[in-house]
Amino acid sequence: MKNLIKKELGHYLNNPLGYIVIVLFGVFANLFFVKDLFVIGSASLRPFFLLLPWFLLVFIPSITMRSFSEEKKNNTIEILLTLPYSETQIVLAKFFSVLMVFIIALSLTLSLPLSLIFLTKIYLPEIFVGYLGVLLLGASFSAISLFFSSQTKNQVVAFLSSVITLFFLLVLGGDFLASYLPKLFQEFFVPFSPLSHFQSFVKGILDFRSVFYFFSLTFLFLFLTVVEFEKRI
Amino acid sequence: MIVLSSVSKAFGQKKAVDKISFKTKGGEIIGFLGPNGAGKTTTMRLILGYLKPDEGKITVNHFDPIDNRIEVLKQIGYLPENNPLYLEMKVKEYLSFIAQAKNDDDWQKIAFEVGLAEVLTKKIEELSRGFKQRVGLAAALLGNPQILILDEPTSGLDPLEQEKIRSLIKKLGQKKTIIFSTHILSEAEAVANRLIIIYEGKIVYDGKKPKEKGGVEKLFKLKVKGK
Repeated sequence: MKNLIKKELGHYLNNPLGYIVIVLFGVFANLFFVKDLFVIGSASLRPFFLLLPWFLLVFIPSITMRSFSEEKKNNTIEILLTLPYSETQIVLAKFFSVLMVFIIALSLTLSLPLSLIFLTKIYLPEIFVGYLGVLLLGASFSAISLFFSSQTKNQVVAFLSSVITLFFLLVLGGDFLASYLPKLFQEFFVPFSPLSHFQSFVKGILDFRSVFYFFSLTFLFLFLTVVEFEKRI
Repeated sequence: MIVLSSVSKAFGQKKAVDKISFKTKGGEIIGFLGPNGAGKTTTMRLILGYLKPDEGKITVNHFDPIDNRIEVLKQIGYLPENNPLYLEMKVKEYLSFIAQAKNDDDWQKIAFEVGLAEVLTKKIEELSRGFKQRVGLAAALLGNPQILILDEPTSGLDPLEQEKIRSLIKKLGQKKTIIFSTHILSEAEAVANRLIIIYEGKIVYDGKKPKEKGGVEKLFKLKVKGK
C-alpha cells in the first residue's frame, strides 16, 4: 500500500495546484485568526477552531475531487483495478494520501498556537484536543468526499456534491437551522451533525462518544467507497 | 490455463457476450478477432475480474477472477484498450510503480527489452504514441506473468511500430499464453497460431489459423459476413 500512497502523494506534491491549495488554506486560516486576535482582541484559538469546519467544507472536496473522478475519466481506474491490489487497499491509499495533504496544510496553522504561547498563557491540552478534533473532522470529510469522487467521472460534480452534503451536515448542528426546526427534529438531527460533536473538542473536552462518531462516519463512507468498487458492473 | 464456460454479460438490454466458452493451453498466441462492439474487450475484462459475468464460470489457473481477484491478477499482464497511462508520471516512475505492485524488482530489464531506455526520464505525456504503447506493454510484462492479455496492442501505431510490437508478441509467445484482440486481419494472420472470432457476443469460430495467405480474411468474411 506504501507504493499506492507514494503514487497518490506524488500527484499532489509534483503538481503546482496542490501547493497552491495548501498555501491558500494556510493563508486564509491564519488571516482569519489574526483578525480575531488583533481586531477583536481575543487571544484564544476557539474562534479559529470554530471557523475551520467551514474552511474544510471547501478545502477537503477540492483536494479529493480528482481522486477517483479523474481515474474514471482517463480510464486509469482500469490500471488500478487490474493490479494485484484489493479494493480496500486502493481506497485506503487514496484516503491516507488525502489525509497527509490535509495534515501538511494544517501544520501551516501551527504558527497560531506557537505565537499565542509568547503572547499569553494558554492551556496546551485544550489546543491538542482542538487539533485532534480538526484531524478527526478532516478525516470524516475526506471519507465523504472520496465517496462522492468515486460516484462520477466529473470532478466538478464530485466537488459540488461533496460541498453540498458537507454543508448540509454542518448546518444540521448549527444554531441557525436548529432554531427553525421543531424540537423533535432538532433532537433527532443535531446528534448526526459533525459540528455538534466537533464543538466538544473546541472546548478542550475529549468526549469518546464524539471520537466514536467521527471514526464511525469515516469508516462508513470508506466502506461505501470500497463497496462501490467491489460490486463491479 | 484460462477456462470460460457459458459466460454471458449484458449491459442493460444489450448482450455484450452470450454464452461463450473456450479454453487456452500454454504457449498459445490467440488472435481474438471481431468487428467493433463484438465483445472482445468485455471478454478480456471478464477474464481479469474487472467485470462480473451475469452467467457462467471463468477460471484462470483454477482461480475465479471475482473470488480470487488478486491471485488471478498476479498471473496476468494486461494492456487495456486505448492504453490508459498516468501521463503526468515519468516513464521510470510509472514502471517502478507497476513493478512494486507486482513485486518485480527488475523493471529496468523490461524497459530495455521493449526499447524504452532513451525515454526513461521523460514524462509519459511527452512521448509519441509508439513509445506510449511500449510503456503499456512494458507495464503488462512486469512481474513475469504467465498470461498476457493485450487489447488492440497496435492500435493507432504507424506500420513500422506495428511491426515491432508484432515481433515482440511473437517472441513473448514462445514462453507465455497471449490473447490479443485486433480487427486488423493481417495482424492476426502474421502473429497468432489460434483464432477466436467473436461476432455479436457469440464465438463463431475457434480453431487453428488457416495456413494459406489471405486465409484469415476469407475465414472472417465467411463467419462474420456469411460470404
